[in-house]
Amino acid sequence: MTTAARETQPASALGSKRYVADDAMAAQEFFHSRGWTDGLPVVPPTAQAVNACLEWALMPPGQLVGIEPVRQRPITAEKLAVNAVMAGCLPMHFPVVVAAFTAMLQEPFLLHGATASTGGCAILIVVNGPVRTELGMSGTFNALGPSDRATTVIGRAIRLILCNLLDARPGEVDRSTLGHPGKISYCVAEDEEHSPWLPLAEERGVPPHASAVTVMAAGAPRQFMNEWTTQPEEILDTYAAEIRANMRHYSIWPGNYALVVPPQLRAHLERAGWSKADVREYVFRKARIRRSEWRDCGKGSVVGERGDREYAAFGSPDVVLVIAAGGPAGGFGAVIAPWYGNKSRAVTLAIGACVDCEI
Amino acid sequence: MSIEFLDPTHESGAAPFSLAKRLTTLKGATIGIVSNGKKGTQPFFDAVERELIERHGAAKVVRTTKSNYSAPAEAEIMTQTERWQALISGIGD
Repeated sequence: MTTAARETQPASALGSKRYVADDAMAAQEFFHSRGWTDGLPVVPPTAQAVNACLEWALMPPGQLVGIEPVRQRPITAEKLAVNAVMAGCLPMHFPVVVAAFTAMLQEPFLLHGATASTGGCAILIVVNGPVRTELGMSGTFNALGPSDRATTVIGRAIRLILCNLLDARPGEVDRSTLGHPGKISYCVAEDEEHSPWLPLAEERGVPPHASAVTVMAAGAPRQFMNEWTTQPEEILDTYAAEIRANMRHYSIWPGNYALVVPPQLRAHLERAGWSKADVREYVFRKARIRRSEWRDCGKGSVVGERGDREYAAFGSPDVVLVIAAGGPAGGFGAVIAPWYGNKSRAVTLAIGACVDCEI
Repeated sequence: MSIEFLDPTHESGAAPFSLAKRLTTLKGATIGIVSNGKKGTQPFFDAVERELIERHGAAKVVRTTKSNYSAPAEAEIMTQTERWQALISGIGD
């Protein structure tokens, strides 16, 4: 086995430089030696596999998906496909990867800041619509972990794209102090089948029954437990308390918090007739702290003259992302905090949508 | 069996940015300071400003602050930079 690979000449429309390794293991070592992986093995991105992704998405290799705004770096369909293959994506997964990265390139997402910050967030991708079932995604057991093949490889593809196309490797553009495990892969399918609630994407303006992604610069999930009540207000008080804890310990600034609501807690809310809008409204009112609370957390030096000022976790109830997901049993829930307030805003985009096409 | 695969990186050539021409002296120069707005930048850049004027003879130091410390500087700040002979951009936590 050798870790060396030889450069060869391209023989198709694909423009990427080509290498030849003696075998698959040699290819792995070559990728590791170049810093082109996340530490896990990759699927060698052959021209055949990359072309299959592009053909599935009906995208020519040179199609410009967007331009990273800070360094003006063009992002092409071919390069997204190469990294998607490496992550383990099948062709049918590729349109979700394209939609997620296109959403991340939109100005409100603040891609460079979110991926370079010491704050250490990961890119959370929430998938809605028929594509979930087509790809075998599961929003039930282990929803925020490796629940199924599709969500795992799609989330991983986004990380590899950030590393290889935007140099967001640890210590290079990625300056995260701690990071979190979601940086390997952080993708969840909403459990639309087991909930009467509106899907997240539909709440955020995507037409019913369309497939879509929502991307968010996100901290690690903050899991809590409350299986000792059936009252909606008490359940949501626990969510609000978890948000307040984040405001006390991490960032006081408002932003797109995500509330992940598994079936056991959801059942009580649904039985009481609470919609997602009701949930958002209640938590909006309850998730507030005074700056003086920072004194209890060792941050008294920055309370200043504003100790009595009240800070809300959200600018409005509309920015709360309520996600139905999780296994059937367990009185658990999770809050996913935004990366440092509202500097980056969650973006929702229909899969296959063109963001700058003329109508 | 050998395997051929594609390069996953951006494959850009030289970086699109290059270093500005270095000044030989700061004497009489107008120097801009762009802070990212974090609290720690204030005392640090106060000291830098003093050093630039008292020790290096800079004529003037212009202090600006970005409105979002995670985003590029606003167009108004970039326009101002054209009037400066040198620029210090810094972060602080």
